[in-house]
Amino acid sequence: MPKPLLELICPAGSLPALKAAVDHGADSVYLGLKDNTNARNFSGLNFDAKALAEGVRYAHAKNRKVLMALNTYPQPTTLKRWQQAVDTAATAGLDAIILADPGLMAYAMKTHPHLRLHLSVQGSATNYEAINFYHEHFGIQRAVVPRVLSLPQVENVVQHTPVEIELFGFGGLCVMVEGRCLLSSYACGDSPNTFGACSPGHAVRWQQTPTGMETRLNGVLIDRYADHEKAGYPTLCKGRFEVQGETYYALEEPTSLNTLEMLPEMHRIGIAAIKIEGRQRSPAYVAQVTQVWRAAIDAVKRNPATFKPQPAWLTQLDKVSEGSMHTLGAYYRPWK
Amino acid sequence: MKLTPPAALAKLLARLPAYPASLAFATAFNLTVWKSLQDLDWEALQERRFCVHVRDTGIKLWFSVATSGLKAEKAGQADVTFTATLMDFTRLALRLEDPDTLFFNRRLLIEGDTDLGLRVKNMLDGVEFETLLASFPGVLGRLVNRVRERALREGMA
Amino acid sequence: MTSPIKLALGPLLYYWPRDTVLSFYEQAASWAVDTVYLGETVCSRRHELRHEDWLALAETLAAAGKEVVLSTQTLIESESDLKALRKIVDNGRFRVEANEFGAANLLSKAGLAFVAGPALNVYNPDTLALLANLGAMRWVPPVEMPRAMLTAMPIPAGMETEVFAFGRLPLAFSARCFTARHYNLQKDACEFRCIDHPDGLTLNTREGEGFLTINGIQTQSGKVHSLAHRLGELVGTQVTALRLSPQSQHMGDVVATYREALDGTLPANKVATQLQPFLPAPACDGYWLGKAGLDLELPLTPTPLPQGARG
Repeated sequence: MPKPLLELICPAGSLPALKAAVDHGADSVYLGLKDNTNARNFSGLNFDAKALAEGVRYAHAKNRKVLMALNTYPQPTTLKRWQQAVDTAATAGLDAIILADPGLMAYAMKTHPHLRLHLSVQGSATNYEAINFYHEHFGIQRAVVPRVLSLPQVENVVQHTPVEIELFGFGGLCVMVEGRCLLSSYACGDSPNTFGACSPGHAVRWQQTPTGMETRLNGVLIDRYADHEKAGYPTLCKGRFEVQGETYYALEEPTSLNTLEMLPEMHRIGIAAIKIEGRQRSPAYVAQVTQVWRAAIDAVKRNPATFKPQPAWLTQLDKVSEGSMHTLGAYYRPWK
Repeated sequence: MKLTPPAALAKLLARLPAYPASLAFATAFNLTVWKSLQDLDWEALQERRFCVHVRDTGIKLWFSVATSGLKAEKAGQADVTFTATLMDFTRLALRLEDPDTLFFNRRLLIEGDTDLGLRVKNMLDGVEFETLLASFPGVLGRLVNRVRERALREGMA
Repeated sequence: MTSPIKLALGPLLYYWPRDTVLSFYEQAASWAVDTVYLGETVCSRRHELRHEDWLALAETLAAAGKEVVLSTQTLIESESDLKALRKIVDNGRFRVEANEFGAANLLSKAGLAFVAGPALNVYNPDTLALLANLGAMRWVPPVEMPRAMLTAMPIPAGMETEVFAFGRLPLAFSARCFTARHYNLQKDACEFRCIDHPDGLTLNTREGEGFLTINGIQTQSGKVHSLAHRLGELVGTQVTALRLSPQSQHMGDVVATYREALDGTLPANKVATQLQPFLPAPACDGYWLGKAGLDLELPLTPTPLPQGARG
């Protein structure tokens, strides 16, 4: 089988989103179950057994793959539930599961030796020695790399590992190394690692005040927006704070990652897949973003040398972006 | 494509007392889309009060969810309030717009119990548009679909 | 009467001038710490001390009777980061703390017993057992792990447990340097501004509440995590050591307070008061209780250390 190149991996927080992804050209769709076994554990989101079965049937009928994110860290008293989720994935015919916890990988490998394993971005593997560890011990076949490496650093990883490398191409941008960020739990007690959500809804309060719209996380003021200002997600890394008398986006502006213009380079260095962030978003978003990325990836595969992102694509993507802005993030070194 | 409500209608609606508007909305809702939504898990939403605030018309709709559908409520405190223009609510309902996009652009505001608001948003997102459409009376359903299709074709989505 | 619980001086997370670092560890040699972790774990650009300097310090501290552990960098991105990592792994003399799985991989292949650092995300018995098989002889739970989770964790025989018990919490790591960003500098030309902030840069909310601390690519808590007033709760947890994270002032006093509190020479109800003047910011203990990390719940009457906990 030839090595995959620039597969398009799209998010689905619901069955309609999954169908939107498949209908608009995703090669694979990734999803999670309705609990904290995945890192988008938001109320009302994700798949129960019935939706999962229908989703797998729908995607497979059109020859697309379905991947399940089981990318949080099981705890002593809940380990069983994570293991059952692995079993559910194997039984439901998922094409791969995306894991972060080594103990769970060991379980999956032993219990379901034919189930394909991907290393989640939550596994925080930023170098090939770490990625090869997961490969040698658990047979991980693909790794999603945290959004902290520059593209030359990614290329160095690709050259030193048999594991396929998947990169985030578009969507919400974690400034911190995924899996190594406890900002949310410091403020509100729930961390992405164990609760499966950053800034969970129960801790978030938006309020229109005379001085602007305030966003608070468990009472901590994250930001205050004047009427004309674009807003961002209620995550601590996108808030405005005061440092030495200066109030600014001390960590990162509300902005989305968009690597469209780097596609030829990603094609050249052999990136196996491009992941679109956004399981928490609506089917409308999934349809719009998938459509653009399908067209872009097809274009770069036809002729990488002449590829240029079409202005219409960028307009479309900026429209759905956080703060209506985009950045190349760490892939472009000066961002750091 | 313009989806702007006739100004006269908006003015008239704004002048109505809140309860009849809420009642009219709940009744219309129960007669149409409720059929396709009643099987959802409404457990966590029982006894919770919602307010939909249509910014440009000034209308506020108050309701809760019961086993038989939406129940109009008298104006007062709500657990969660959604604020947007009539146009944006319409576009959300037609699945032409992504709520987060509206939020980033300050066109959608969710105040109060955020988790409750997100739950409702995500539950509704989980229902396929075709399913919703099927619960409308024939003519109305076809009309709604035609409006949506046209908007999609014209690249408004 | 001494408690069997050991004290460890965690790796220095800040960037201090060379002379300051050397004099800090010169003093540390006489403090009541059993273990000292050495090395740069935050940023590869920091160079006041080179690998050889850390090794020389390690020799001095070992000669003073300390167990010395060399800590590896938490975020390893480049080939030169890996080169530095291999040097530490191959040092041939001192034990190593792995702070990501690349290091764990190299240490395990080399057949060396190692310390599994707090950033390895060990949240369950399966992963802990796996690390034990790879050669981990000690583990440091994630700093957010509550006492309840720790006590529910079966710990492999012979595995030591070291808990982060004092200092600003290391909360997040990024590719981006927030100190450089604050000065409108690029990371690659950061002018090493971290050196001007021996305890990091305070980040306040727009309501003036000290919330976080910027330390280069690392983000720390604004408050100082402290378990000093909860030492009685260590009973029944299998904790073998407490990690105290270095700060620029009063570190010797902090160590002394913890030692006295553990040994019972300082009454439990006096611990918080004695520690107070040595804190650079308000205390917090929420993580230990399974709450928001920034919370603080001072027990009205601190649990005294029962006799059984003392040696």
